Amino acid sequence: MELILAIGIGTLAGSGVWLLLRPRTFQVIIGLSLISYAVNLFIFSMGRLSVDKAPILASGIAEDPTRYADPVPQALVLTAIVIGFATTALFLVVLLASRGVTGTDHVDGQERET
Amino acid sequence: MSLSNEVCLTLLLALPFCGSLIAGCFPANRRNVEAWIGGAIALTGLILALAVYPAVADGGVIRTEIEWLPSLGLNFTLRMDGFAWLFAVLVTSIGLMVVLYARYYMSLTDPIARFYCFLLGFMGAMLGIVLSGNLIQIVFFWELTSLFSFLLIAYWHHTARARDAARMALVITASGGLCLFVGVLIIGNIVGSYDLDAVLQSGETIRSHDLYLFALILILLGALTKSAQFPFHFWLPQAMAAPTPVSAYLHSATMVKAGAFLLVRLWPALGGTDAWFWIVATAGVTTFVLAAYLAIFQQDLKGLLAYSTISHLGLITLLIGLDSPLGIVAAIFHMMNHATFKASLFMAAGIIDHETGTRDIRRLSGLYRLMPITATLAMIAAASMAGVPLLNGFLSKEMFFAETVAEHVESILDDALPYIATVATMFSVAYSLRFIHGVFFGPASRDLPRQPPSLPSWMLAPVALLVFACLVVGILPAITAGPFLDTAVRAVLGAAVPNYNLAVWHGITVPLLMSVVAFLGGTLLYLLLQRYLSSGIDDAPLLRRLDSHRIFDQFMTFISLRMARVGMAVLSTRRLQPQLRLLVCMGLGAALSVASVQGVSGGVISTIDPILTLIWLVGGACAIGAAVQAKYHRFAALILMSAAGLAVCITFAWYSAPDLALTQLLVEVVTSVLLLLGLRWLPRRLEMVQADRHPTIRDRMRRAGDFTIALGAGLGIAVVAFAVMSRPMVEGIAQFFTTNAYSEGGGTNIVNVILVDFRAFDTLGEITVLGVVALTVYALLRRFRPAADNIDRPEQQVQSDRETTPHDAVRPDTFADALFVPGLIGRLLFPVIAVVAVYLFMQGHDLPGGGFVAGLTMSVTFILQYMLAGTRWVESHLTIRPVRWIGVGLLLALLTGMGAWAFGYPFLTSYFAYALVPMIGKIPLATALLFDFGVFALVVGATVLILIALAHQSTRSHRLSAPDATEQPPTLQSYTEAPRLRDAT
Amino acid sequence: MMGWDHLVVVPIILPLMAGTTMLLFDGRSRAFKAFISLAATVALVAVCIDLVATATTGRTASVYHLGNWPAPFAIVLVLDEFSALMVMVTSVLALASLIFSVARWHRAGVHFHPLFQFLVMGLNGAFLTGDLFNLFVFFEVMLAASYGLVLHGSGIVRIKAGLHYIAINLAASFLFLIGVSLIYGVAGTLNMVDLAEHLPSMSADDRTLIAVAAAVLGVAFLVKAGMWPLGFWLPTAYTAAAPPISAILAITSKVGIYVILRLSLLVFGADEAERFGADVLLYGGLATIVFGMAGVLAAQEAMRVASFTVVISSGTILAAVGANQAAVTAGALFYLVSSTLAISSLFLLIELLERGREFGADMLALTREAFGDPEEPEEESTVGTPLPATMALLSLAFIGCTTILAGIPPLSGFLGKFALLHGLFQPNGSTLSVTLSAGQWTFAALLILSSLASLIALVRTGIRSFWTSEEREVPRVGILEMVPLASLLLLCVALTIQAGPVMNYMEQTARALHSPAGYTQNKIVVTPVEHVSAGEHHDP
Repeated sequence: MELILAIGIGTLAGSGVWLLLRPRTFQVIIGLSLISYAVNLFIFSMGRLSVDKAPILASGIAEDPTRYADPVPQALVLTAIVIGFATTALFLVVLLASRGVTGTDHVDGQERET
Repeated sequence: MSLSNEVCLTLLLALPFCGSLIAGCFPANRRNVEAWIGGAIALTGLILALAVYPAVADGGVIRTEIEWLPSLGLNFTLRMDGFAWLFAVLVTSIGLMVVLYARYYMSLTDPIARFYCFLLGFMGAMLGIVLSGNLIQIVFFWELTSLFSFLLIAYWHHTARARDAARMALVITASGGLCLFVGVLIIGNIVGSYDLDAVLQSGETIRSHDLYLFALILILLGALTKSAQFPFHFWLPQAMAAPTPVSAYLHSATMVKAGAFLLVRLWPALGGTDAWFWIVATAGVTTFVLAAYLAIFQQDLKGLLAYSTISHLGLITLLIGLDSPLGIVAAIFHMMNHATFKASLFMAAGIIDHETGTRDIRRLSGLYRLMPITATLAMIAAASMAGVPLLNGFLSKEMFFAETVAEHVESILDDALPYIATVATMFSVAYSLRFIHGVFFGPASRDLPRQPPSLPSWMLAPVALLVFACLVVGILPAITAGPFLDTAVRAVLGAAVPNYNLAVWHGITVPLLMSVVAFLGGTLLYLLLQRYLSSGIDDAPLLRRLDSHRIFDQFMTFISLRMARVGMAVLSTRRLQPQLRLLVCMGLGAALSVASVQGVSGGVISTIDPILTLIWLVGGACAIGAAVQAKYHRFAALILMSAAGLAVCITFAWYSAPDLALTQLLVEVVTSVLLLLGLRWLPRRLEMVQADRHPTIRDRMRRAGDFTIALGAGLGIAVVAFAVMSRPMVEGIAQFFTTNAYSEGGGTNIVNVILVDFRAFDTLGEITVLGVVALTVYALLRRFRPAADNIDRPEQQVQSDRETTPHDAVRPDTFADALFVPGLIGRLLFPVIAVVAVYLFMQGHDLPGGGFVAGLTMSVTFILQYMLAGTRWVESHLTIRPVRWIGVGLLLALLTGMGAWAFGYPFLTSYFAYALVPMIGKIPLATALLFDFGVFALVVGATVLILIALAHQSTRSHRLSAPDATEQPPTLQSYTEAPRLRDAT
Repeated sequence: MMGWDHLVVVPIILPLMAGTTMLLFDGRSRAFKAFISLAATVALVAVCIDLVATATTGRTASVYHLGNWPAPFAIVLVLDEFSALMVMVTSVLALASLIFSVARWHRAGVHFHPLFQFLVMGLNGAFLTGDLFNLFVFFEVMLAASYGLVLHGSGIVRIKAGLHYIAINLAASFLFLIGVSLIYGVAGTLNMVDLAEHLPSMSADDRTLIAVAAAVLGVAFLVKAGMWPLGFWLPTAYTAAAPPISAILAITSKVGIYVILRLSLLVFGADEAERFGADVLLYGGLATIVFGMAGVLAAQEAMRVASFTVVISSGTILAAVGANQAAVTAGALFYLVSSTLAISSLFLLIELLERGREFGADMLALTREAFGDPEEPEEESTVGTPLPATMALLSLAFIGCTTILAGIPPLSGFLGKFALLHGLFQPNGSTLSVTLSAGQWTFAALLILSSLASLIALVRTGIRSFWTSEEREVPRVGILEMVPLASLLLLCVALTIQAGPVMNYMEQTARALHSPAGYTQNKIVVTPVEHVSAGEHHDP
């Protein structure tokens, strides 16, 4: 299963990077979102995969840790998600502003002269 | 003498700088005050210098040291020996003359304060070079002189000539100084100390070191640029744009002498090698001859003097290069003499310029009748420059001739020297003659801009004094200059002082014959050149092409503009795509470069689950689909992207991360809403389709490249992820949290406990980010200007108008007006979702949920209201102040953390309410919960602020023709809280 | 204050507190916020002075256990000479540019003061934290705030520059995340020191993965540090931003360098991968210097010239770090402080100069557009009461900046270059030998050449703005704008005069960095505050 997931991460990241390198701001923002999916999964996968081991203590008393999935990566992912959300929002607004003042949605604020 | 020598020394250096500061503080036009200050400073300096003479008279050295950078072996060391003393006297005495002279020379309109400020500063810097006992310190003051000379040359900076001259002087001398810097650094590190005494003692070590030549060249670059030696000579004539007092000071006695000073200073350490002889002597002799030749053909008095200065410095350099004790003696002696007669000549030229209004030799003539005294003095000085007997110039020139005759390094150059010297002296005789004859004799000139006043001005006083010195030294050298010269020489040569005698008459000697030849030849040459010169061409024959000034300028423009531009074009880009491409490639490359050391090996793998695999097939397909569609079909791309996100969600849920799944889902929703709101402002892409139908080869290439990069990136991250996932779990910090989450953190949801307790500091930062972004978004959107083609409302709305509303009705801004029922349902949904949010929040510490998720849910309900019920309805029915929510949330979290201080615990230490009263038992309220509520409030505030700010853009789009497009509809004040309102009310 | 053991966290808390308070009183006038902002920053400077004092006295780094959880599990702050120094510089720059902007620029848009405070918070956090992921968080705080501030005042130039700035830094942040999480996945820890201790006992495979993580992280930091070819965004963004913002941003570009210096010497200082890294830094730094030289010479507007001096400064420090000798590092630290101060004051100075002139016109127009909001009365009149000696003072300041940035006497820039070269020429404290590597010689040469380039470019700029423009009216400069400028330069003067003690501090810092024992010792020793009474952390 790890393999599938790894490939999944790769696919997300790959398509994200492809979009990141495109000239249109909307493409870039979609790309960033895809990459952030990939990265979140990546962080998560750093805690290895474990089914039915949700890090929620059954009883008050702590028992052997191996019964639970590694909580740390999950915490990191949560933080990462929030920050990713914030920055995506920011980038969206900036690209709208850029589109507004420059009249184009090209990342350089002007169409490439070729 | 009450003051100790050390104190005198310190004062000698400190005074000019203080004077400079004082002089700078006065208003621009106080000529007399400034002159008094300057005079006082210079005089005091001179007196101080004379006062300490006894201490240095017989090879003694005065030293004083102030700690500065001891760890790098750089202390502020003042050191005066005989040689330094001689120069200190020169600098101060001639400084005094110049100060007096300038008082009368400078016009009333000139901002005199600045002049004296810079002049005194320069004097200080020059004294600094002379008195430094430390190589680095020498460089320090060396660059200071460059700086001040720049300011002085550019004194009349309203003329382009002055500016260019100043800049050229600065660039050349400062770069020379930088070379010198490196040179002395190397020397210092060879010796193991920058201290001058240490360096002078370890000449052997230096000369035998492999880096000797390198260091030598660097240091010589410094010295030769400073004293305007070929091929760096051209800045000096340009520098004549400076006021004459400046030229008289800098370009006769001080600045240009600094180079020669340094050469003599370091000669004991660096001299005595073939390299020294060849470089220094060659540079010297070339300059000597070339400059003398060029001097003849100058039409500008100061230009003539400038070139003669260069040539005399060449002579001095040559003497030093000859590498013999007697050479050094002659060099030092000639430095003294040249300073005196050249200073007086510059001043005389200045007087002529001042009185007649021109310096052009072609226009000047027969001035003898008009200004006899000036003429007499100038003639004596010029004669000394030519080396006429009974004047000091003659003596040092004789010594020079004697040296050229003597044998040094066996070479053609050495054999040829006597002849070259004679020829060069012929030239100098010629230009001296020209100076005298051309200006003072011949028919009285008609068209002078100004008529010289009958009675001479005070400007003559300093000239007279200097000329007097020339005479005295010339007639009675042994008793006047002798002892001082001896002191100086002794300081440089130490024991190896050769025996020389300063006599006017040595009998019939080779040097004397050479002089005679030079005189006859020079006179003859001048007579022959009469016609050419009177033809008034301002250019030397044979050397028309060699205009170093122009060459330098072109060089500079080439280097500092063209090459720089090209460099920028090659080295950088301002476009985003290449930068991102580089970034990805670098990241990938860096990873590969280290990973390629050895491959990573796999380990345990769990079995493949068909359902999740299927999900990922879809997810991956969606991702790729989004990548393909994002250009032309944004909406589709958005949907596909969300689908991919969904796959991620499911995966989280699948692999026991319910919190993540929940959060991801909600973020998913909000992000999609945001993007949807944004879509409306992007340009239609349809017409672009035509344009991009036929991609060029370059486009194809680029796409192929990007595809490879993307592929590589994906592959790379996949491999790494697999490598890690497939290896056994490491014994990390994880289990600490698992074991302590409940007992110490008081919650069963470990992840949440980590977020609000163990690593609450992260969360604090994270919510700050969210808040900051919200503020930025708001600030940015207040000035939002939609593009022209977005201003009119989208067709959908227009159509819905036509169908639903009569013209007089208020324009509907949501589909709620079109679809009434769903709108109503949406409104009823509001409390329900709110309750869900509260529930999620409350259980957060023990079950999936928590502040962030709750916050998002809450804000979703708000945006739902906006979408269904419409801006106006929502805003007229409930008021929220997003910014305040943000503030409250942050503050709450912050205060919760700071509360710990009250109990003497570190920031963010958590407490249990029940912990304080054990008897009662558990009250399930951890401070962490408070913290989490802060998170909740902030998330609500931030998200709502962003969404609303974005949503509102549509309500204003139709008023864009109005001048202030950034204005917001008044209905929004209470939400987005534009400070405007508060200020107004 | 002295000895209050929570002081370490204050540089982070204080700005946050101030910013938050302003949000609560969002409606209030700007003057009110400006007051809070200034007060907080002044207090911050005081705290930082105390921290520096503590750092110098403390033999080992002092550690602050956030939440009173034991290291290495939870987050710790670490105060040593280095972090204290950086926090100090930050607070000083913050104060200077804040005072400057209160005179006029803070009106160019909303929420200036909160954003500014959050930026300071992010900077201090990044300097103080001892935890990799926490470092990421504070990076993001810093960046988010800087995005907002770069866009402060809006306008097409800033929006275009901001778009690039944000896009690139977002991408870099992803690399950062990948690196950190990879390290966790392999080493199972996030605490820098803990990681440093785990490294030696790791298997070859793990080492490889860690190396990968380090490489990826390195790229992320080098983007922030503006190393060629990752730093093209830097000059554009700095040129576009409002001058006082650029003045404070001058330190943000140093954060990347700080982290690289810290991590490379602390964590990855073990094996040959580090040697490789050092070379990358050295040659990357050299390339950056060249790039900066070309840029500074080719630049037209003064602001752009100043921005490229930032690039040169970054390159110099990176190369110095790459040279990997304690003596050079010490020099680099000295250079870092003096050049950062000078660059900031140059940004401020240029803003004042451009006011009277052509290019300045459009900058002002841009500001006016900002002023143009109905809520803002035209307060131009209050701003520029022309001082009598304005021009003289400005030119003096300009000469100061030029000499510092060109590394020529009399000010601290010269000493900085001297210290660098001196250290470079003494590979191991011994006297010079010819055996300096080609890289080191190139470095020495470029140090000199960059001096020359900066000199030429700045003199050109100075002549253009002081001498060539006839009948230019003296710019209207408020006292509030002169004070920070003057005090920054006076600090450089102080650096020059007090070079001895300062250099000692730098050498101490450098030694500590090159032998991280002092840093590590105190951190693994788990010392939370012991429980005074049973219950607070109730043990069941």
